[in-house]
Amino acid sequence: MTVSDETLMAYADGEVDAATRAIIEAAMRDDPEVARRIARHRALRKAMRGAFSAVIDEPVPQRLIDAARGAPVSDVADLAGARDAAVRKAPRRGLSGWQPAAMAASLLVGVALGYLGWHGSSSNTLVNTGPSGVLVAGAGLAEALSSQLSADRSPGLVATTGLSFRAKSGDYCRTFSLTGTNASSGLACREGSSWKIRVLAQSPQTTANSAAFRPAASADSPVVRAAVEESIDGEPLDRAGEIAARREKWAATPSH
Amino acid sequence: MSTNESAENIQEQIVALLPRLRRFARNLVRAPQDADDMVQIAVERALLRLDQWRSDARLDSWLFKILRNAWIDEVRSRGRRAKIFMPEEAGEHIGEASMEREIDRLSVEAALGRLPQDQRLAVSLVLVEGLAYKDAADVLDVPIGTLTSRLARGREALQEMLRLPEGDLS
Repeated sequence: MTVSDETLMAYADGEVDAATRAIIEAAMRDDPEVARRIARHRALRKAMRGAFSAVIDEPVPQRLIDAARGAPVSDVADLAGARDAAVRKAPRRGLSGWQPAAMAASLLVGVALGYLGWHGSSSNTLVNTGPSGVLVAGAGLAEALSSQLSADRSPGLVATTGLSFRAKSGDYCRTFSLTGTNASSGLACREGSSWKIRVLAQSPQTTANSAAFRPAASADSPVVRAAVEESIDGEPLDRAGEIAARREKWAATPSH
Repeated sequence: MSTNESAENIQEQIVALLPRLRRFARNLVRAPQDADDMVQIAVERALLRLDQWRSDARLDSWLFKILRNAWIDEVRSRGRRAKIFMPEEAGEHIGEASMEREIDRLSVEAALGRLPQDQRLAVSLVLVEGLAYKDAADVLDVPIGTLTSRLARGREALQEMLRLPEGDLS
């Protein structure tokens, strides 16, 4: 009797039903070749499993643990605590309702407060808290977002712009990096007459651990990158697209 | 209160799965730092989509699927990112594992790395992560027959490359 190699493989992986198992075990007793092929599958399974155990034993980077817990707790100051309290008081709509939104909010507020904390009151040229706690670009950052093209890397800029794109909502959004000692990166979208900050995160190179690990760090953070991926509609603007959008003062265009 | 507790509970379960997510990510992207970036993106997405997780489904499979989809997005947007972000540092980071273990790991890793992507993911999910065929097929969004044929071809190629000693026949 011939048993296909896929069936023997499934047997070695514990994926066959009782009847097939009985047939295979009978074939194994009768035919050393069948037994040899199964042993081969098992040896490979064992080798694959064992070979990757080193990653499992490595300490997990703290940033991943923080991400899994939903907020960089160490950065969250009083306002975030107040905001959490407000969330707790809000009517319960079950896990699917408020929880993810609350976690997203606390993440944003957490990083933002961390940011404001470094800069103190002089930060209002870069980031302001608008009505209902929304973060908006201050005059300096707004000027950069409204006027600079992404290729502009002249020295002395308070912020550089990275990628410009149209979001699925029809709004124009731009990634930016703030320069200086407490470099941050973020994503801002033009809504009405202001640039609303959707994400603001401390740049990787300013955190002690990753500084040594990746000296030529990219200017973004995974949070910003993920936010771009989530909201982008099509491809980013090229230089001509940016110039055209700037001419229209980054006013939202209807989605097609 | 119970809602809050269950969310925290899921978060702690995700924390417990981080080592396995990191391992799977290294079979998607070679550089450890990039693999960890992928894990971070996947975990952030998962938290925003907790409402889409059916509690009868395995949390590990669900997270692997989000990670795999995040990686597909990443690959698709690589050209786009190249315009914005500085080039990434290439190079191997040798960990603290003992020399012997490192050699062993690299050889299997190298062999797995030479497989076509479809086979590599099938092997990684079933043989490394220990997922059942149906769960692995679900992570990869393919019928179970496709999964098993990729797995069989991947295994055959690995056997050729690694030339493992015959197992003990008992």
